[in-house]
Amino acid sequence: MQPLHQSQLPQNSAEAENNQSELDAPPKQVAQAMDRLNQAARVIADIRLGADRILEALFVASHPRHTDMPLQLFLREDTSMRQHLQDLSLIGKKLEESGVLTESLRSRSNSWGLHMPLVCPDGAVVAYAWKRQLAGQAGASAVDRTRLALKAFTDQKRRFFPHIDDGLKMEPRSKKPRASHSLLQHDREEPVGYETLPDMLSRLEKLVPNVKVSTYGRLNWLKRASSLHVSGGEDSTEASKPIFQSSSKLRSGLQAEVVDKVAVIELSVPSVFRAVVSLNPAGSLDPDAVAFFSPDEGGSYLHARGLSVYHVYKHITEHAATALQYFLGFGTGSGTPLYSLLLWICSFESLFSKPCSKCGRLLAMDKKSALILPPLHRAYQELPLAVNMDVCEAYHAGCSPDES
Amino acid sequence: MPVKWVLYWQPNQGSTVSSQILNEATQCVESINGVKEGRWKATLIYYKPMLRDQANQAEFPRDFLGISLADQPSKYYFIIRSQRIVLESDSSIQLIMEKLQSYKSKVALYFEGFQYQLGDFRLRVGKVVPTHSENVRGIVMEGMELFAFGADSYSHLVVILDAIYDVEYLPISSMEKSRKVMEEFLEIWHEALFKRSLPGKFVNTELNFGEFGLGDSYTPQHTAVRYALVMAHMIATVQAVRG
Repeated sequence: MQPLHQSQLPQNSAEAENNQSELDAPPKQVAQAMDRLNQAARVIADIRLGADRILEALFVASHPRHTDMPLQLFLREDTSMRQHLQDLSLIGKKLEESGVLTESLRSRSNSWGLHMPLVCPDGAVVAYAWKRQLAGQAGASAVDRTRLALKAFTDQKRRFFPHIDDGLKMEPRSKKPRASHSLLQHDREEPVGYETLPDMLSRLEKLVPNVKVSTYGRLNWLKRASSLHVSGGEDSTEASKPIFQSSSKLRSGLQAEVVDKVAVIELSVPSVFRAVVSLNPAGSLDPDAVAFFSPDEGGSYLHARGLSVYHVYKHITEHAATALQYFLGFGTGSGTPLYSLLLWICSFESLFSKPCSKCGRLLAMDKKSALILPPLHRAYQELPLAVNMDVCEAYHAGCSPDES
Repeated sequence: MPVKWVLYWQPNQGSTVSSQILNEATQCVESINGVKEGRWKATLIYYKPMLRDQANQAEFPRDFLGISLADQPSKYYFIIRSQRIVLESDSSIQLIMEKLQSYKSKVALYFEGFQYQLGDFRLRVGKVVPTHSENVRGIVMEGMELFAFGADSYSHLVVILDAIYDVEYLPISSMEKSRKVMEEFLEIWHEALFKRSLPGKFVNTELNFGEFGLGDSYTPQHTAVRYALVMAHMIATVQAVRG
């Protein structure tokens, strides 16, 4: 609570001292500035205490018992308070001159990379020197971490999506599909630059008449999924009207405004499967997830990111995720990723009838999961756009040429 | 409801049904990664009418069967196979029949066993079990009548059925679509059994469900009809053996 020595000195010497401090090396300047800030903090604390005492004196004075004491107290506190305030203003001036309260020092070139501590408007003191050092360390480890993360990601990509490697060419599986593929080039319709969803779906249903195609907004799909139950899951209830029903005649005009909200496409082959594709964003032609379910399944878990309770559909869903990545990354040359995906999904119409092209059987024991499963894999690399989807080859997971 | 095939063991020519089959079959299931899951049971009761005038007995069908199934505990099924009738009713009908004294149980068969899960397949194996306190080993034929019999006094009779098996494929309920899958599954099971040199094979109960008014989508009524067919087949087999 001692008044500072510096306040006793005449102004001249204070100025001289300031000039001297300008010639000091930056570290000393920083040290001095930190010092002065500490002093200022102490003086402020003193002022606070002094204020308390003055209030106390006033309080005591309001009680007429003590005659002289309150006045003495008051006078004493008054003096000491004025002193404190004077000290503070001196320190403040010094800090200002050394650039702590402003940013004047920053523009000086000769600062050795160190910055004066800065008192922010809200009172926080930023000791730049230390912060820089810490920040520097953090920066270095961030670079390292990023490098490691990138490496890990590249490894994963190579492992799970081997076909997306740049510069790696894919060998054609056999001559035949290639030939049939090129033959069909003549018959195949020109890929439309930009087609609407209803057009795409009507093109699809001409190709695969056994598949029922419906579209829904997200909320409507949720209603429908919950209303599906084990017995009689095929009937759509009144609560969930699909926006686009394959046999619906209300396509033009009315649908134009509603197409914007289509977020879910349902493909179902009665008694074989039900596939759910989600579009993101709603109204676009970009699929982002697909899942397969039993035609008898129902419940709110029936959505493009859900999983069936049955192993066969669970496995197909996993396989479909890989196929989706392929379509999004590569496409099949003609048609948008969505169209390719939908067409590929339709090839599962033969899930329980088409034997594996490699071993010739329908069921086989899957080594990985120790389960007996039908051929779940359908070739997606060279998707035939033939009228007859049966051309699409089926494989057991263990028999698939993709297996690596 | 998942499609179900009901199978019975058909021994090769010249060999008889052996209770060893049950153990072997069970072991085979476990060898193809089947996991024992729980118990199941079924009850089959042949009824005969309680008539004041016994002469009219012939007018009434002899194969009036009542079946209770484990997965439908609140229901009871009636089948008259010869007339292609199948009916589902509430399980309280048994109480009503008792009170009315209209029909009486002629032969009561209880099947009990385990169920196994193999991925999306479910297998059930049910052995004939003792009724009351008798040590029942199976169902026999004597004359034109069916009896459940105990080990001791009826050993000279032909055991026609000691266990019933059924296989379900859970994901789908269309019989048409699941046909190939079930056939191949049976092949796989037979392959596993073949290694143990068992003389015979499992046979599925095939029939024209349309005659019973049943469609392609599987229901418990299909099961009931299949069980009735197994029984009928067993009886026919024994009659053929006896000449």
